[in-house]
Amino acid sequence: MRVIVADDVLLTREGIVRLLRDAGIEVVAEAEDAQALLQHVRLARPDVALVDIRMPPTHTDEGLVAAQTIRAEHPEVGVLVLSQYVEPSYALRLIQEHPERVGYLLKERVFDIATVVDALRRIVDGETVIDPTIVSRLVGRRRRQDPLAGLSEREREVLGLVAEGMSNRAIAARLYVTERTVEAHVTQIFQKLHLPESPDQHRRVLAVLAFLRA
Amino acid sequence: MTAVSIPRVNLARLAAGPAALAVGLGALAVAQGPGRFTTYAGRSGLTATLTVAAGLGLVAAGLVAALSRPAGRIGDLAVLAGLVWFAPVWVGWDKGPPLVRSLAMLAAGLAFPLLLHLVLAYPSGQLHGTAARVLVASVYLETVVVALGQAFFRKPFFDPNCWANCTDNSFLVRSLPQLARAIEVADRWFTAAAAAALVALCARRLLRDSGPARRALLPIVPAAGLLAGAVIAHAVALQRRPLEDPSDPAFRTIYALGCTAVILLAAGLVWATVRTRSQRRAVARIATSLGQAPPPGSLQAALAQAVGDPELQIAYWLPDAEHYVDATGRPVPEPVASPGRAVTALVRDGRRIAVVAHTAALPDLERELGAAVRLALENERLQAEALAQLDQLRASRVRIVQTGDSERRRLERDLHDGAQQQLLALSYDLRLARAQAQADGDSHTGSLLTEATGQAQAALGELRDLAHGIYPAILAEAGLGPALASLADAAPLPVEIGDAAQGRYPAAVETAAYLLVAEALDDAAGRDASHASVSAMQDGGRLVVTVQDDGTNRTSSMVQLADRVGALDGSLDVEPTRLQAELPCA
Repeated sequence: MRVIVADDVLLTREGIVRLLRDAGIEVVAEAEDAQALLQHVRLARPDVALVDIRMPPTHTDEGLVAAQTIRAEHPEVGVLVLSQYVEPSYALRLIQEHPERVGYLLKERVFDIATVVDALRRIVDGETVIDPTIVSRLVGRRRRQDPLAGLSEREREVLGLVAEGMSNRAIAARLYVTERTVEAHVTQIFQKLHLPESPDQHRRVLAVLAFLRA
Repeated sequence: MTAVSIPRVNLARLAAGPAALAVGLGALAVAQGPGRFTTYAGRSGLTATLTVAAGLGLVAAGLVAALSRPAGRIGDLAVLAGLVWFAPVWVGWDKGPPLVRSLAMLAAGLAFPLLLHLVLAYPSGQLHGTAARVLVASVYLETVVVALGQAFFRKPFFDPNCWANCTDNSFLVRSLPQLARAIEVADRWFTAAAAAALVALCARRLLRDSGPARRALLPIVPAAGLLAGAVIAHAVALQRRPLEDPSDPAFRTIYALGCTAVILLAAGLVWATVRTRSQRRAVARIATSLGQAPPPGSLQAALAQAVGDPELQIAYWLPDAEHYVDATGRPVPEPVASPGRAVTALVRDGRRIAVVAHTAALPDLERELGAAVRLALENERLQAEALAQLDQLRASRVRIVQTGDSERRRLERDLHDGAQQQLLALSYDLRLARAQAQADGDSHTGSLLTEATGQAQAALGELRDLAHGIYPAILAEAGLGPALASLADAAPLPVEIGDAAQGRYPAAVETAAYLLVAEALDDAAGRDASHASVSAMQDGGRLVVTVQDDGTNRTSSMVQLADRVGALDGSLDVEPTRLQAELPCA
């Protein structure tokens, strides 16, 4: 797998690059700002770009903007945004236009290399990756008449994994159940929440996140 | 600035009336008797009437003006001019005492300079502008030089054109007929030129002065123009016929015109004096018309109306701030005098209270303000001072809030860019060390390092929450709508966001709105609310933020929020379960 790492802090960038190389991932370029990142993407055509959300000059959402640009201009290149912010708004903004091949992970996950490599693999496979912290914040959101109250414990668990962007197969593997069982859960959940079941997995993530946010 | 003068009884002015009566009636007697052929006044009943009316009229008008305005020079000038007006009659006192006739010769030339001075100094008594000062000074100087030259060197007997007095000159030093003749001709044309200059200066003032000052000139200027016309016509007539003959229709007409001009001038002076008196009464009445609690600026409006000067301006002096403000407390430049505009400083117990810029047609405003008006002025100055301090306070409150906000943002960034990066680097090192320990088979160190890694992760999470609490980056980056949604995501109670403005507003407004909602939600949770609804809508130039909950009644007055909202000139309505702020956002 070929990746580009973009982070303006040298220490962090080098740490990430080293961990990725140790994990057998090919880092084809490093960038310290959004402009360099876009250039490298154009030239190197990586499988995934790992992008820090805070980059010069304003250190707010340059990384997010760059991610959206990459997704719009290079549909075959995936993007994993690393963020300091537990902000569902940012995650939704990222997947709104192009829900496939993107991920939004909290920055501290970066050194849990197994999680990162897993996310990268899923992105290359065309999936969507949303940080569990974001999902749990949305699932745990206080609601006046909680539609989630009608879900069983297991159904709620499945809903969270769907929101994280996992496929039925991955959910089945995670929960040690068959894929068919997961399918049944998902159908049940979507019926209870009055959500139109979408065959498209990415649209499914978006629909669930938007529902949780509403 | 107009100085304050103590009114005092002036003996000379008291004597001027009887003296003028004596001089005028004496002149009438001379004209009717020995001066029948040597004076204009002696030629007919009409010229006699005009002469006496002009002279006594000037004296009377001068006394009226001087008595009502002791500080003004105008009245004195008019009295003097009126007295001198009779001099030509005394010159023509045939076979009268030579000294009287000689003195009258000396005085006769002064009538025109005095009248010219009066017109140019009207109404304040001060000469404004270099041109006016130069003209008045040179006319006086020329008159003195001519009078002395004629007195020392003209022997009337040798003057072929003499008519009023062909015998007497008590001051003759040496008879130089040619010189005397030359002086006479030069004087004639100089006076004509001065008359033309007077007309030009009057015209310039009419063009340049603003409304009230120009209106004040109107009673005087036509008379001055007529007078100047008579002076010039007299010079032209003498050029054509050197021997002045009071029985000649042309000369007689010119003389009648001159008298008429002086009568008009006197009448104008009286009229202006009467009008100034009525203004003064109006000024004195102002205080009663102001009522109990006049809004700022009422005094200026009332004063402007009373003196008929819409441009009148009152500037209050703030001794601590050392600058002037208007009635609403806004700083204004110090008023300065300009053509047609005078400035009066109002002082109380040696302290400057205010400065009034007004038309120069109202020369001594200071004296005319009654005690009640002064009290009102003092009140309004205090009010202006309070308002100015309020403005300063408001500005400083805004600065404090803005400084606080930018500090919050800076702190948030520092946490992300500094502490967080350090913690990330630390957890990276911890993981490397753990991997190394595991490779070395040191499972004890490995588990310790695993624990340390977990603590570093927890610290990262806490740091992130802390930074978010100090200043949510999403507020600056995406605005109020997304920031409120984020607030609802993490709120301790169910929050419904109704209408949320999606536009961008000034940073101070967004921050205030966000913090208001955040604090209101915390407060609602503390009062056991089961849910809250939030809306932020733009209504014209204001952003209206409302937080409604169903908790128990609040006891806090939310004073910090009120301060913040107040600093932005907004208003905060605190009700038991509802907060509503209106923030100017245009």
